[in-house]
Amino acid sequence: MDLYEIRGGRLDVIAEEGELSRESTTMETYNVAAGSGARTARDVSTFQRFSIGTNESLRFEPCEASTPSPTGAEDGCGDDDDDDDVFKEEDTESEINSIRNRLQGKVVEMENFAGHLEEIFLTVEENFGRQEQHLEQHYNDVLQTLSQRYDERGAALEEEKKSKLEALYKQLLACGRALDSSKELIESAQEVYRSQDKRLFLKTVMPTVKRIEEYAKEDPDLTLATRLEFNTPLADLSDVKTMMDSINVVPAPSAPVINPQMPNSATQTSLRVCWSLFSDDTVEYYELYYRPVLEDTPADSTCAPHESKVKVKETHCTVTDLLPNAQYELWVTATNTTGISPASEKALYMTVPSPPVIKQRECTSCPEAALIRWDSGNTNPVDSYTVELSETETDGTESSITESIVAVPSCQCLIQLQAGRRYLISVRAVNIGGPSDRSEVITVSTTGTFFHLLEDTAHPCLSISEDGFTIFYGDEELPISAMALDDNTFFTRCVAVLGDLIPVRGRHYWEVEVDDGTEFRIGIAYEDTERNAYLGANSSSWCMRHILSPTRHKYEFLHNGWSPDLRITVNPVRIGVALNYDRGTLSFFNVNLEQHLHTFQCNFQSHVQPCFSLDNPGALTVHNGIEAPEYAFM
Amino acid sequence: MALTQVSSNKCAGGFQKVFEHESTELKCKMKFAVFLPPKAETDKCPVMYWLSGLTCTEQNFITKAGSQLAAAEHGIIIVAPDTSPRGCNIEGEDENWDFGTGAGFYVNATQDPWKTNYRMYAYVTEELPKLINANFPTDPDRMSVSGHSMGGHGALICALKNPGKYKAVSAFAPICNPMQCPWGQKAFAGYLGSDRSTWEAYDATVLAASYSGPQLNILIDQGQDDQFLSASQLLPDNLIAVCSEKKIPVVFRLQPGYDHSYFFMYSFMNDHIKHHAKYLNA
Repeated sequence: MDLYEIRGGRLDVIAEEGELSRESTTMETYNVAAGSGARTARDVSTFQRFSIGTNESLRFEPCEASTPSPTGAEDGCGDDDDDDDVFKEEDTESEINSIRNRLQGKVVEMENFAGHLEEIFLTVEENFGRQEQHLEQHYNDVLQTLSQRYDERGAALEEEKKSKLEALYKQLLACGRALDSSKELIESAQEVYRSQDKRLFLKTVMPTVKRIEEYAKEDPDLTLATRLEFNTPLADLSDVKTMMDSINVVPAPSAPVINPQMPNSATQTSLRVCWSLFSDDTVEYYELYYRPVLEDTPADSTCAPHESKVKVKETHCTVTDLLPNAQYELWVTATNTTGISPASEKALYMTVPSPPVIKQRECTSCPEAALIRWDSGNTNPVDSYTVELSETETDGTESSITESIVAVPSCQCLIQLQAGRRYLISVRAVNIGGPSDRSEVITVSTTGTFFHLLEDTAHPCLSISEDGFTIFYGDEELPISAMALDDNTFFTRCVAVLGDLIPVRGRHYWEVEVDDGTEFRIGIAYEDTERNAYLGANSSSWCMRHILSPTRHKYEFLHNGWSPDLRITVNPVRIGVALNYDRGTLSFFNVNLEQHLHTFQCNFQSHVQPCFSLDNPGALTVHNGIEAPEYAFM
Repeated sequence: MALTQVSSNKCAGGFQKVFEHESTELKCKMKFAVFLPPKAETDKCPVMYWLSGLTCTEQNFITKAGSQLAAAEHGIIIVAPDTSPRGCNIEGEDENWDFGTGAGFYVNATQDPWKTNYRMYAYVTEELPKLINANFPTDPDRMSVSGHSMGGHGALICALKNPGKYKAVSAFAPICNPMQCPWGQKAFAGYLGSDRSTWEAYDATVLAASYSGPQLNILIDQGQDDQFLSASQLLPDNLIAVCSEKKIPVVFRLQPGYDHSYFFMYSFMNDHIKHHAKYLNA
């Protein structure tokens, strides 16, 4: 804090906000009397008073005009007449204001610092608490182990004692029995001796004597069955020892916690990975492992995806050099002097996709809408696409307002627009990693209807110019291979091609430029019109036909093979075609004369496409993106 | 000039009226029909002049042709005069249905006894427009002309002889080349005399060959089953040939199954009024 700088002198004590026990409820004001000594006479009651009990901690006292300049310059201004020197007054006022502001800033800084200190204090407490817990647990473990050992040993001794006692007891019993039997023997001998019956005595005395003799020969076994000492094996307390030792040692870290992917943190080729410590471990460095997740896991483990490793000191890392729109598996370990932690859980991250590529030749528009088509730009699927559009300003620059259409599921989008404007449209591919970069921008003008020709539908003898709007029929032989094909994509008899009209029901207008000698058919057809038929010959197409005969020009307006009988005196070379879905009409005009030629009344069951064909070698050019003249939709 | 209203009927949101006046060109009382569309109550409207065919009066068109709805939609005043002076007591005027009464042929007759009264060309191109513009909410710069059969011939020659005066022209089964057909020859001989060079001024095909002026866009409908077509009274091919040559834009539609009647006109009247509206409302 550099308040001293400003003050140049006395710093009164700032009361701690927390010390409510303090008697004084206001802070002592501090003087700004730098340079010169304190001016008691003209004390400037300056800027801030901290009143604890109120909200007025930043109440400003208006400064008196006679404030001395803070830089210490002797003030000629301050002394007496304030009214005299207006400029100096203002000067000092503004200086005072700036001092005031700086002091304000300093106070805010101090408050922040105090807050920060509080936080640190709390963290230390937390850490201490954790350490305490940790220690307690550790010692508890040791104690538990010891008491377990004690119990074990005790139990073993108990067992031994029991078995010894049993053995001795058995011996005792055996002795008892021996005693009993010898007692019995003696008694029976005595009985024999005492018996009066001499004859009986003679009979039994000899066996009895024999028995006694035999018995006397037996050596009683007088050895003890067991030893009297107990087995005292050495107690194995080595693990307790290691446990005690380990209390003093920093434990190896536990597995870190890897965060899930944050939105908008990935780019096409990089991922920003973050993790945190599980507990308050000491960590020297982390190692982040990552490998791509492949679609099909090969059976052969030698073809496993390559695993990469990055060593970092922070708890975050930006991994680069990755593939776009790819999924990666990441995990992290923490290492300190003791060892390496177990690996964290594996997290799945995804890089952002590559930007899509708009297919310029497949975009169409009309005054109310545009249909944009694009290539994904990624080999693997993405989640969705976002289409962004902005109007160009009158001077051609891009407007700052962009409209976004999100969650577009496929590679095309029909956008509602307003007539007569120019739009800049781009597309992004989106996956869980976020949106890709913007694709190249396409400019769409909603003046008139705009479309390209569907080159896939062109008869093999029809060639299309580079810009895609002029068709030529050279006098070539139809290749046999083309005739053999029967799929309904391109025209095989009528040298025709379809246009890619936007599928929006409304009004569409385009013009066709021909020359006097071109035999053509131009009009509209349903998309599935028979490719082996001539335009106008069936119920799925309507067209204006020009036939050149040796004597004159003939014009037909064909549908279902039928045409009204019309004569036109001036051959149209620029023909306007006006399609009105709502009214169900298709009109043809001689544009140069603004002359209406013919109108078909139709009932369009589905969307139609413009169609163009050449009946003899020649060329015709399609012009679109033209605002329909008033008479076209009268 | 004083106009007397003969009748007025509300029709298609507007009014179908018939007026009578004393004509200075024709020196007799003449009636004409006027359709005033709803728009005429508030704004000035363009005018389409309709010229009827042989034997017609101002009544046939307004009762049979079905023009009022389209006229109301496009905000066009339609004026339909009679086809000849009436009650002039000229000897022989009522002898033929295709010459004299009801068969004015839209010429200014030069021969007696017709030349005093039979000045339909002047009536239609001069007197009537002045009268209409003075008495109705019209835009004098926007007028067009159409007609049927003899009236078709009248429409064509009015447009061809007055480049720029008529913003649009169309015709139903017109007599395209009167000099070459029996009707025309009879009428011109009677009204204009035997010098055929004087007929050329009233023949659309001849006039087209020498037309120079603002571009005309001509719409012609012709019934394919029209007995007079097959009787070579109408001769549209001649006109088409000349217009092709001279690059006068014509769209000529041959309508299968249709005859020469008002039923035929009714069927395509909307197209014609729309054609006129395109130029009158531009």
